[in-house]
Amino acid sequence: MPERAAELGYEGPVIGPEQDFSSVSTTLSDLVLERPTPRWWYIGAAISAAGFLLFVIACLWTFVGGVGVWGVNIPVAWGFALANYVWWIGIASGGTFISSLFYLVGSDWRNGVNRTAETMTLLAAAAAGMMPILHLGRQGLFYWLFPYSTVMGIWPQFLSPLLWDFFALLCYVLTSIVFWYIGLVPDCATLRDRATKRWQQIFYGILALGWRGSARDWHSYKSAYLIMAGIMAPMVVSVHSIVGLDFAAGLIAGWHSTQWPPYFFIGALYSGWAVVLALMIPLRWFYSLERIITERHLDVIAKLMLATGLMLAYCYLLEAMEPFYTGDATKATEYLASAFGHYGATFWARNTLNIFVPQLLWLPVIRRNKLALELISIGIVAGMWIERYNFVVSALAQDYVPSKWGWFGGTFWDWSILIGSAGMVMFGFFAFIRLLPVVSMFEIREIIHKRRGRGATGGARQ
Amino acid sequence: MSLRPATYGLMGEFRTTAEAAAVARELRAAGFTRWDVYGPAPLEEIEHATPTRRGILITAIMFAAAIVGACWGYFLQYWDAVIDFPINVGGRPLDGWPGFVPSAWEICALFTVYGGFLAFLITCRLPRLHHPLFAAPHFERATQDRFFVCVEAADAQYEAARVGEIFTRHGVIETSEVPA
Repeated sequence: MPERAAELGYEGPVIGPEQDFSSVSTTLSDLVLERPTPRWWYIGAAISAAGFLLFVIACLWTFVGGVGVWGVNIPVAWGFALANYVWWIGIASGGTFISSLFYLVGSDWRNGVNRTAETMTLLAAAAAGMMPILHLGRQGLFYWLFPYSTVMGIWPQFLSPLLWDFFALLCYVLTSIVFWYIGLVPDCATLRDRATKRWQQIFYGILALGWRGSARDWHSYKSAYLIMAGIMAPMVVSVHSIVGLDFAAGLIAGWHSTQWPPYFFIGALYSGWAVVLALMIPLRWFYSLERIITERHLDVIAKLMLATGLMLAYCYLLEAMEPFYTGDATKATEYLASAFGHYGATFWARNTLNIFVPQLLWLPVIRRNKLALELISIGIVAGMWIERYNFVVSALAQDYVPSKWGWFGGTFWDWSILIGSAGMVMFGFFAFIRLLPVVSMFEIREIIHKRRGRGATGGARQ
Repeated sequence: MSLRPATYGLMGEFRTTAEAAAVARELRAAGFTRWDVYGPAPLEEIEHATPTRRGILITAIMFAAAIVGACWGYFLQYWDAVIDFPINVGGRPLDGWPGFVPSAWEICALFTVYGGFLAFLITCRLPRLHHPLFAAPHFERATQDRFFVCVEAADAQYEAARVGEIFTRHGVIETSEVPA
C-alpha cells in the first residue's frame, strides 16, 4: 500500500489505522496456519540447521577431546566460551528489557516487537547457558553447582560471583520461559479457534490450555503479567550485573574494577536492541507486516540504540580513565596493551562498530533507511562480541608479570562453537516464526482499541 | 430449577465492546452473579463492568511466593555457611549476608514469577481443554473479533426469557442456549 506509506512514517502511528480486530487476527494467524511455507524460510532454516549441526559436532568433540581442542591455555585460560557467554546473555537481556520495562512504562510500540524480543531472549539465554557448561572441562559434573550437599558431601562457595552467576542464569532462563509462554496462551487460543487442520487444532489447543478469554480470566492474566514484568525488569539488571561482577571479583589487572556491572549491562542492552532490529527488518519485509510492525517501531529502536550507544561511549571513556586516574602501572600497561598491543585491532574494531558508526543514527535519513539500519545493527552485534573478546582475552594475555604473558588465538573448534551457537539460535527463530504468531495479536488489539476510542472496536467481518 | 440443569447457560453474541460492556453493567445491576464476558483482548471498559477480586488474590499469592523464595534462598546459604559447614577464613563472619543477597534475590524472583503463573492457572481454572462454551455457535470468534456474554443456568436468578430480553435490548447478533 504505497499510497499510505507516509502516514506510517517514523512519526506515524504504531499500527496501520485501517487495522481492526479481524484483520489482525487473520493476518497474523494465517502466516502460521494457512500460508504455505515460503521458499526463503527453507533456505534460511537450512543454513541455520547446518550451523546448529556444526554446534552439535563441536560440542561432542569438546566432550571427547576436552577443552584442549580450543585455543585456551595458560595464561589465557578463558577464551571464546566466556566471550560467547557474556555476549549471548547480553543479547537475551535486551529482549527481556524491551518486553518488561516498556510494558511497565506503557509504551505502545512495545506491543509490536515484544514477542520477537522475548523469543530471541529465550534462544539467546539457552545458547548462553551452554557456554559455561562446555567450559567446565568435566562437563558431566556440571550438576555439582546445584546446592544439594546432603548427597554430595560438598557445598558450592556461595560467596563467589561465579555461583551467583549460576543462580542468576538458571533463574533467568526458567522465568523467561514462563514470561514468554504466558503471553502466548491467548494467541494460541486464537490459533486453535482459527485452525482448520486437525493437528493444528490439537497442537494449539494444548498450548492454549483451554483459554476462553473471559473478562475475569483477562483480569487474572493482567494482574499476574504486570507483577511478572515488574520482577523481570530488575532481574535482568541483576543478571547482567552479576556477569560483570564475575570479572570485577577476579584479580586480573584488566578485570579488577567495580565499574563492570553497569558497563556490561549497558552493552547488553545495546546488543539486545541491535539483534531485535536486525531480526525485525527482514521479518516485516518477508512477511509483509509493514502495517503492523511500522517504521515507527524501527525508528524508536534506532533511537534507543543511539542513546544506549552514547552511554556505552561514556563507559568506554571511564574504562580508559580509570587506569591513569588510579596511577596503577599494571592497569595502565594492560589498558594500553589492549588498545595498541597484540589485540589492538579488536579494540579499534569495537570502537568503530559500537561507537563511531552508530553516530549515523542521528540522521533521520539513516533511521528511515532499512538497509542502513540493518547493517548498523549487525555491526553492533558483531562489535559487541569483539568487545567481549577483547575484554576477556587481552586482560589475561598481559597480566602483572611479563614472563607470564602469552597470546591466544581461536582454533577451528572455537569458531565452530561461536558460529554454531548462532546457527542454533537462528534455527530456533525460524521454527518460531513458522509455528507461532510473530506479533502478539491480543496486545495489538489493545492498541487498536485505544486508538479507536471506547466502544468502537469489534469485527468488520460478518 | 433442577440441581443439574441440562443447559450450561444462555449466550449472546455482540459486535462491539460498548454493547458487551452495557450488558455486563445491566446484568450486574440486576443482581446476576454467575456470568462472564468473553472477548479477544483485555479491554478496560469490560473489565470495569465485570466485578472480580482476582487481582488481590494473585498479588497476595505472588507476594507470598516472593517471601518464601527469598527466605528459602537465604536459608539455603546460611545453612551451609553457618550451620552445616562453617569455615573460619581469617576471622570473617560466617554469615556473610551481603554475599548471600544476589542468589537469594534470583531465587525470590524465580518463585514470584512461577507463583504468578500458578496463581493465573488456578484463578482461571486452567488447564481445562474442554468446556461447554466451546459448543456455542461462533464462540471461536471470542478469541478473534467478537464479544460474548454468557449467563450460567446455575445462577439463582437465571431465567432464559429475561436474560434473552436483556441481550436483545443491547443489540445481540445471536442468542443461543449452551448445552451443559
